[in-house]
Amino acid sequence: MSTNPLLNITALSQSFGGLKALDSVTMAISPGEIVSLIGPNGAGKTTLFNVLTGVYKGTSGQIRFQERPIRGLAPHQIVPLGMARTFQNIRLFTNMTALENAMVGRHTQSKNDLLWSLLRNKTFYRQETEIEIEAKKCLATVGILTSANLIARNLSYGDQRRLEIARALATKPKLLILDEPSAGMNPRESQKLMELIRHLKNQGLTILLIEHHMRLVMGISDRIIVLDHGVKIAEGTPQEVAHNTKVIEAYLGKNAAH
Amino acid sequence: MNFFNSQLSTLNPQLPKWLPLGLLLAVLLIFPIIIEGTSYAYLSRMAGLVGLYALLALGLNFTLGYVGLFDLGYIAFYAIGAYTAAILSINGYSFLASTFAAIVVSVFVRLLVGVTILRLRGDYLAIVTMGFGEITRIVFNNWDSLTNGPKGLPSVGESIRPVKILGMTLVTNTHYYYLIAASVILTILVSQRLENSRLGRAWVAIREDEVAAELTGLAVARLKLGAFVISAVFAGLAGSIFAHWERFVTPESFVFWESILLISMIVTGGMGSIRGVILGAVLLGGVPQLLQAALVGSRFIDYRYFFFGLVLVLAVLFRPQGLWPSKRRQVEILETEYVN
Repeated sequence: MSTNPLLNITALSQSFGGLKALDSVTMAISPGEIVSLIGPNGAGKTTLFNVLTGVYKGTSGQIRFQERPIRGLAPHQIVPLGMARTFQNIRLFTNMTALENAMVGRHTQSKNDLLWSLLRNKTFYRQETEIEIEAKKCLATVGILTSANLIARNLSYGDQRRLEIARALATKPKLLILDEPSAGMNPRESQKLMELIRHLKNQGLTILLIEHHMRLVMGISDRIIVLDHGVKIAEGTPQEVAHNTKVIEAYLGKNAAH
Repeated sequence: MNFFNSQLSTLNPQLPKWLPLGLLLAVLLIFPIIIEGTSYAYLSRMAGLVGLYALLALGLNFTLGYVGLFDLGYIAFYAIGAYTAAILSINGYSFLASTFAAIVVSVFVRLLVGVTILRLRGDYLAIVTMGFGEITRIVFNNWDSLTNGPKGLPSVGESIRPVKILGMTLVTNTHYYYLIAASVILTILVSQRLENSRLGRAWVAIREDEVAAELTGLAVARLKLGAFVISAVFAGLAGSIFAHWERFVTPESFVFWESILLISMIVTGGMGSIRGVILGAVLLGGVPQLLQAALVGSRFIDYRYFFFGLVLVLAVLFRPQGLWPSKRRQVEILETEYVN
């Protein structure tokens, strides 16, 4: 890796009481990569996402995002630096329209406007128009622009997942973190999701995802990192990881590996 | 036949959208003048009281309605506004000056309370705000040197002077009705403008999913505090108007029941819906009084709160989203517009 990594994690641990959910995990992600995080249930994948995005503070170790240490910052301080995420269980603003969901995503990209909104001056309208246009672009990118006026809760399951991605995109991230984006999708929907992720990569985004859907993982990942019991057990290209004995052991048990 | 049809079609165009609202506003504007001096004059006073409820409910709507903060002690800030205005008016300050002070003091106390308690969630916040509401009332009830205790203000020999504004002195209930109506309209404007802005969307997003909101980059704690503080402006304003209108304040006006009533107005009308909250204030603030007036002398008078409670239960059972929920803003989409 010749370029400076976008995200650099060193010896990161997170304990909950006696449980070490993450145990000295070290990894790096370069700009423009698609990296998948895999591992059996309870391996610490979502915990890692939560520490990265500021939900948990981490117990020890270091996280550098674009060279800047971010461990311990609040989520709303991390998002404007260029990191956005989706959730394993869809978390939308369910009673707002799809467009409004994406518009909320523009929050960090626009300014405080208490006085402007009360006075309704030119700056207010200019900013509102900009927020709306940018939000629409994000809906268009994920392919749900025509549903812009629908209440989020009334969208189809697949579209709700797409809307989460659109809302994350609206924050103008450099690193997009997707937590099981294809969960619950049918094969056709996950195929389209794969195309979307590739498209985002081509737009210059770096993507880190947790995924159980192996065909999707093998199909789009530049690199795969495997966690088990909070420890990184393997890392490499899809081919390398698929033949790694430790990985096979973790997934299928000791006997299968030999 | 053709002629008749064409006549009809010109005679029956779509009614303009503003017509119902315009008619309603016109009626609200002129009815106090019409009934003045008749035996229905008490309706102006009743409408004024409902207006005060609407003002308070719209203020509480900022926290409970938009952000979903379960704030059970809002009435305390109404009390703080009323007492501040009363004390200043007794000491010779004008309506505008004492109202300004009432708002500033309410906002300031609200800020102090908010900074300390807003990190609490849901039911814990409810308990703490409820406690603050009661503490405030009890302090006013016992701080004799400042508030004259349960006897209320003004004390014997002092008086709260009537409102003088724009060269007019407000005396009758009708006068105060107009003052309150103007304040409600101002509050509606502020609510609408904030609701349809970046700030309003952020508030609603927090109500919908606090975790997702924080992880979308919203500074949830600060945004909550903002809504909390803004809502105190309207409590202070309403408190000052109330003190000047009644020209008398006692701790009894600020009991816990009033906070509950305000919350019921918002929940019944529709959380975060301006029109719903006003409807809630009219129904819950006005109907019990109307029932009282209508049932006086009949043997049903003792049942009026029974009917009232029944209506509330039915409303919430069958319209959990509120009687008149807000509509989300719709935009125009040109399909070809943003395809990349």
